[in-house]
Amino acid sequence: MGTRESDVKEHQACTTISLSNYHWSDPPDENKWADCVHCGMCLESCPTYELTGQEQHSPRGRVHLIKSVAEGKIEVNEQFMDPVFACLDCRACTTACPADVDVGGLIEEARGQIRQAIPLTGYRKTVSNFFLHRLFPHQNRLNTVGGLLKFYQKSGMQKVVRKTGLLKIMPDHLAEMEGIMPELTQPVRKKYKNQNVIKAKGKTKHEVALLTGCVMDVMFSDINEATINVLTRNGNDVVIPQNQTCCGALHVHAGDREMGRKLAKQNIEAFNDAKKIIVNAAGCGCMMKEYAELFREEPEWHEKALSFSAKVEDVSKYLHDTGYEQPQAEIKTRITYHDACHLAHGQGVRQEPRNILLDIPGVEMVHMPNADRCCGSAGIYNITNPEMAGAVLESKMENVPDDVEMISMGNPGCMLQMAMGVQKYGRNQKIVHTVQLLDWAYKKEDGLRGQE
Amino acid sequence: MGLKGLKTKDKHIKNLAKIVGDRSILHHKEDLLAYDCDGFTIHKYLPKAVVFPKDTLEVSRLVSYCSDNRLPFLARGAGTGLSGGAIPVNGEVVISLVKMKKLLSVDYENKRAVVEPGFVNLKLTNSISDKGYYYAPDPSSQYCCTIGGNVAENAGGAHCLKYGVTTNHILGLEVVLPNGEIIEIGNNGIPDSPGYDLLGLITGSEGTLGIVTKITVRILKNPEAKQTVLAYFDDVSDGSHAVSDIISAGIVPAALEMMDKTAIEGVESAAFPVGHPRDIKALLLIEVDGIAAGIDEQISQILDVCKNRNVREVKVAQDEAERARWWANRKTGFGAMGAISPDYLVQDGVIPRSRLPEVLNRINQISEESGLRIANIFHAGDGNLHPLVLFDARIPGQTELALSAGSACLQACADVGGTITGEHGVGIEKREEMRFVFTDEEIQAQTDIREVFNPENLLNAGKLFPSPGRCAEVKKERKEAAL
Repeated sequence: MGTRESDVKEHQACTTISLSNYHWSDPPDENKWADCVHCGMCLESCPTYELTGQEQHSPRGRVHLIKSVAEGKIEVNEQFMDPVFACLDCRACTTACPADVDVGGLIEEARGQIRQAIPLTGYRKTVSNFFLHRLFPHQNRLNTVGGLLKFYQKSGMQKVVRKTGLLKIMPDHLAEMEGIMPELTQPVRKKYKNQNVIKAKGKTKHEVALLTGCVMDVMFSDINEATINVLTRNGNDVVIPQNQTCCGALHVHAGDREMGRKLAKQNIEAFNDAKKIIVNAAGCGCMMKEYAELFREEPEWHEKALSFSAKVEDVSKYLHDTGYEQPQAEIKTRITYHDACHLAHGQGVRQEPRNILLDIPGVEMVHMPNADRCCGSAGIYNITNPEMAGAVLESKMENVPDDVEMISMGNPGCMLQMAMGVQKYGRNQKIVHTVQLLDWAYKKEDGLRGQE
Repeated sequence: MGLKGLKTKDKHIKNLAKIVGDRSILHHKEDLLAYDCDGFTIHKYLPKAVVFPKDTLEVSRLVSYCSDNRLPFLARGAGTGLSGGAIPVNGEVVISLVKMKKLLSVDYENKRAVVEPGFVNLKLTNSISDKGYYYAPDPSSQYCCTIGGNVAENAGGAHCLKYGVTTNHILGLEVVLPNGEIIEIGNNGIPDSPGYDLLGLITGSEGTLGIVTKITVRILKNPEAKQTVLAYFDDVSDGSHAVSDIISAGIVPAALEMMDKTAIEGVESAAFPVGHPRDIKALLLIEVDGIAAGIDEQISQILDVCKNRNVREVKVAQDEAERARWWANRKTGFGAMGAISPDYLVQDGVIPRSRLPEVLNRINQISEESGLRIANIFHAGDGNLHPLVLFDARIPGQTELALSAGSACLQACADVGGTITGEHGVGIEKREEMRFVFTDEEIQAQTDIREVFNPENLLNAGKLFPSPGRCAEVKKERKEAAL
């Protein structure tokens, strides 16, 4: 029996799909690019377009190319890879876009296809494997800081780490703070290993679970400690689920969606009992709010991911929304605030951290022009695309006001990158996390009370 | 970033690269695809190459090379044009001017500024606002479009009702002619030079007469006061009549914008909603500015007019933040259509203000006949309509349907004594519609002017005028053949 003409018509959609040059599962989502009408409103928001002036390095250009592969016009090859991987995934275009096109989601999906079509080789493979497979998913290895520090020394970033407070070298004029600065602490996951709940100081109002993060807990355990202090002080019991893992953002940014899914599943299960999941790293928070994106082809996990994501909240927004005690002690400092991309563009959190800083007596906030422009850190972008990352950092540093003593932000990747900028351009600002400053203010208040 | 080595055998690519450098030329298909259209996406053509000159001299050398080797070429800015003026229909060498993006000088005393063509429109205002000045032409794409592109298209904007379009703000131009020669026109801000108005001719010539490489513009002192009104109507014709009434009352608003129900659905579904009621039929966004003394009186007159026309609700912006929200909602309106439709085609007809109600009715009819939704977001004050035809290019036949619905809208404008473009230009989109408003002889007269500047027609060919296959140029060719 021959094929009837009417049947052929019904299969038209299949014919269209077969044109696509995306050959693996989980391809870029057609509905995402269907929102883009190519108006160009995204152009000026894009750091890589600003630097190159080339439209394949602009959001609408990238969306156009991603769509062109699906239409069979081009292949997934090196020339296509260049613009897709040169994207910082900073999401500034998402803020600028009148139609809410999810450019970041498309980029990550396209990277997933590229990584499968063109596996990494050579130096990039080594770097990528080291970070993404052998280091971040394994907390015990991360805790063996030695290897990490060695890498940092080799890449000239040791001084950077010092700037961030790990080794507690501070400008003289901030010596006043030394007394209230936290000691170099061990990772909080290790420290509270045998403690089911870190109890709130005073009456318990809420119970929250904390993502301690992979890099955060090793390099910036003092920030995790500060986060716990600030949360417990404001009536929160804090739980640290022990089987949590790296959020997977770096893997997804790099196109390793399989590993991303694996880590996501582990976290979804680890935080199953939590009512609220508090994150102090913008990149992790944004990723965890988007877990469902990874499971478009696994309905059961898609559902779980959605309810997991609904519980995720950045610490600054959580404190702001649930209320916090205004510190009484004065921290006299001039400070500016940098919007981490995955906080401002990724999660729409802009005013909350600023309000917290403004609530600390003595803090004088100086506005940073283009505060929500990417600093160039972008996960491990500064390692994989050093030239572009350097140029992005340079224009960021030009916007840091001259006369501030500190730059506050809410993401560890930005903290490292900005510290590098401070170092490289001979500036002397201290890089702090928003909750650190709040914690210091509380500590100072307690100290003064103790003296009385 | 950019290219790693040139990797080509094409001698033209190699020679063009010698002029601008290996890192300032694109020639791989994957990169060129990003340049196969501009804000008008219905037709797509790959360029031969894209080059990024850094100064006038490089532009001149590129143009000379193309001209000597008979390579078609065109200039491109941010590529946000809505009529396809920067689409390389003949596989052109695209000369992108985005790297020429400096603000060269500002002369506050004589109220003028000199910019390179790739300088973004809004950046000019941002650069001079601390001194209390601004650049008036404000196309909705001003966040990203370039002033060079604005000159090519003679761009308008919401505030052009009171302040005029781009041509009213251009004081001088440096132009690279299609043979590579660099000329300067305009007398650096001295108004009304003797001789023909070449500035007026180049401005709005859609990149067919030369490539502008330096622009002297007029800058204005910020108005002392500014008030913005938002009015919601249950009936489109009440809204339309209110527009005419406001102007008849002797008020010249800085801006007088209108959106219809479908447009409101779009902007409210998109990234910058302000909470307009979804069930109203039309809204007006009205802004008055000037010396503080008369503003309140004008506002109360406007409120009265709206009330007389059965307005459901009318309010004055309480602060700058509210005003900014209303404008962001309006200015991102076209892009916002992406939230309710995969594709759109925007038209740009102009009509006498008094004919608004009947033309809007006609557009509504066209929508019903074609089965495609049409949203209207437009500059009501100067009768500049923007019907946005919503369609889905993935559905076979819809693109053609949208094009013919768009064309019918322009016919409706021409029928009431209006014209086919107010500010977006003709480009490739409205070439055939030029016949709605010009006779063959009139079109011929214009192509004769083009020939003076662009005799080989290598620069941006196939734009602005109907294709020769159906127009006077053919008759001319036939005539010449007969001789």
